[in-house]
Amino acid sequence: MPNSRQIERIAAAWLARRDAGAWSAHEQARLDAWLSACTAHRIAFVRLEAAWHQSDRLKALGAGVASGTLPARGAWTLSPFFDSPEAHHLPATGAANDAVGETPCPQPATPASATNPIRPARRAPKRPWRTRLRYVAAAAAVILTASLALGWHHYTAVEQATYRSAMGGLQEVPLADGSVVTLSSDSRILVTFSHGERHVDLQQGEAFFKVAKDPARPFVVGADGRRATAVGTRFAVRHGGTDLRVVVTEGLVRLEADNNPDGRRQPTTLLPAGSVATASNAGVVVRSGSIQRAEEYLSWRTGFVNFHDTPLSAAAAEFNRYNPRKIVIGDAAVGRMRIGGNFRWSNADTFVRLLEQGFPIRAVRRDNAIVLQHR
Amino acid sequence: MGFPPSRVFVRNCGKVALVNESLDTWFAREILVHESALMRYLLRSWFRRDEIHDLRQDIYVRVYEAAAKARPAMPKSFMFTTARHLMTDRLRRGRVVSIEAVGDLDALNVLIDDVSPERRLSARQELQRLTAAFDRLPERCREVVWLRRVEELSQKEVAARMGIGEKTVEKQVAKGMRLIAEYFYGGSAVLRTSRRAAPAAERGDGHAQQQAD
Repeated sequence: MPNSRQIERIAAAWLARRDAGAWSAHEQARLDAWLSACTAHRIAFVRLEAAWHQSDRLKALGAGVASGTLPARGAWTLSPFFDSPEAHHLPATGAANDAVGETPCPQPATPASATNPIRPARRAPKRPWRTRLRYVAAAAAVILTASLALGWHHYTAVEQATYRSAMGGLQEVPLADGSVVTLSSDSRILVTFSHGERHVDLQQGEAFFKVAKDPARPFVVGADGRRATAVGTRFAVRHGGTDLRVVVTEGLVRLEADNNPDGRRQPTTLLPAGSVATASNAGVVVRSGSIQRAEEYLSWRTGFVNFHDTPLSAAAAEFNRYNPRKIVIGDAAVGRMRIGGNFRWSNADTFVRLLEQGFPIRAVRRDNAIVLQHR
Repeated sequence: MGFPPSRVFVRNCGKVALVNESLDTWFAREILVHESALMRYLLRSWFRRDEIHDLRQDIYVRVYEAAAKARPAMPKSFMFTTARHLMTDRLRRGRVVSIEAVGDLDALNVLIDDVSPERRLSARQELQRLTAAFDRLPERCREVVWLRRVEELSQKEVAARMGIGEKTVEKQVAKGMRLIAEYFYGGSAVLRTSRRAAPAAERGDGHAQQQAD
């Protein structure tokens, strides 16, 4: 069996052959046979094809460069295209320079050897402004196209997208600004990014936010007429039946409510890390504790739920957030029993078995529910 | 107490429009984009540099085959978990027996938590990374890629322009494809390796590529 490098070479040879044109049905059939021979062939091919497809964007570099001219390595760093404040923090610019010394080939880093068939013109440090303008415009057009392709409408006002997770499934959603949202079971968010604000509407369920810092664009999570605002921090927001819970594990979050119908405004609450806030019609209750304690509220992200002296009715409701087969409290006495522990939310059956062993509880198992009754 | 009506969800439905995409597209979008993070992880955890290429292939194969049955809900962590399992398997199978290896086995469990979710690159950052990859190509290869990709000449026209054979152009295109994938997906990890611990491995690789001409 050939090793991975050999497979990669064969995949590259196929792609280059196809790229050469005059591609026959016979060749396609042979390629198909090779691809289906083993998964290692397929992934090598897919990987190279995807990268080559990406390299189509290099066209942006050709803007304003005369045909038949190969710009020198690293010449890009001088161009207006890369002349942004961000560019200095990114590896690419540095990499372009470093690469000169590190290229696998031993050739000198000078723009071109004299034998080069096409003569790489040295770039004049200053270009006529007209050329420069054309360059900028062309580059901008390319970025715009690329951005649109990515769904990141940087130059337009608003980008909107809805994300949802299935019952019993977690979903990690990377956002265009670098923030990452983890959706808990059966949850839904609507993300709206505009020039001045990053807004996430929590329509259902619970979500954990790891917010990328951007002081110019606050990150606002709205739910139930309340807004939790953060700049760069980590926190979770959850829809209860009538209340809203906000857990902050890093940074600071500002929690505010829309005006009441009578025009009265609920006071704004500042939540430092370690806060667990519960907001309802009656107002906001904040429990401040250690960050570790706050993290426990977020253990769903690793597949667990934590209970400390929790009424069984609340614990059952917690399990029901994650499982289509519901735990139903058959009588009130059962619901008042208090339990503690750390459980896997995907395993409601085990939880119920433990209840049967440790409490005077009898479970009646139906297709779509488990009913708990007093024994 | 009433029950909500049973609902049917599409698995891993990040964006509704993406549900019907092909496995290959999914693989490029969800797995390959994390190659530099994966390479950093492998380089830290696996002390035999010459095996990393092979290891990466095995990880990709497993992820791809698993995803063919059901797409994982969290592709990146799934990939890292697969990577850890594979490394542990390899160590256990005794293909590598050494004290260092055992030390690394412990480290594997720690490092997995250390892998921070990568920022998704913006279009501009992607272009910069591509440009860096392009600039690292050997001279002739870089010229061929420029003419083919930027000036959009056919391979035949590239051959005529440069006064070289068409087969040579095809070979250079193949080489460009491999190196661009390595530098673009591998990104900073590839760079960092050569700067840090494994200049030999990198250089060895370079030689192999040179010989392929």
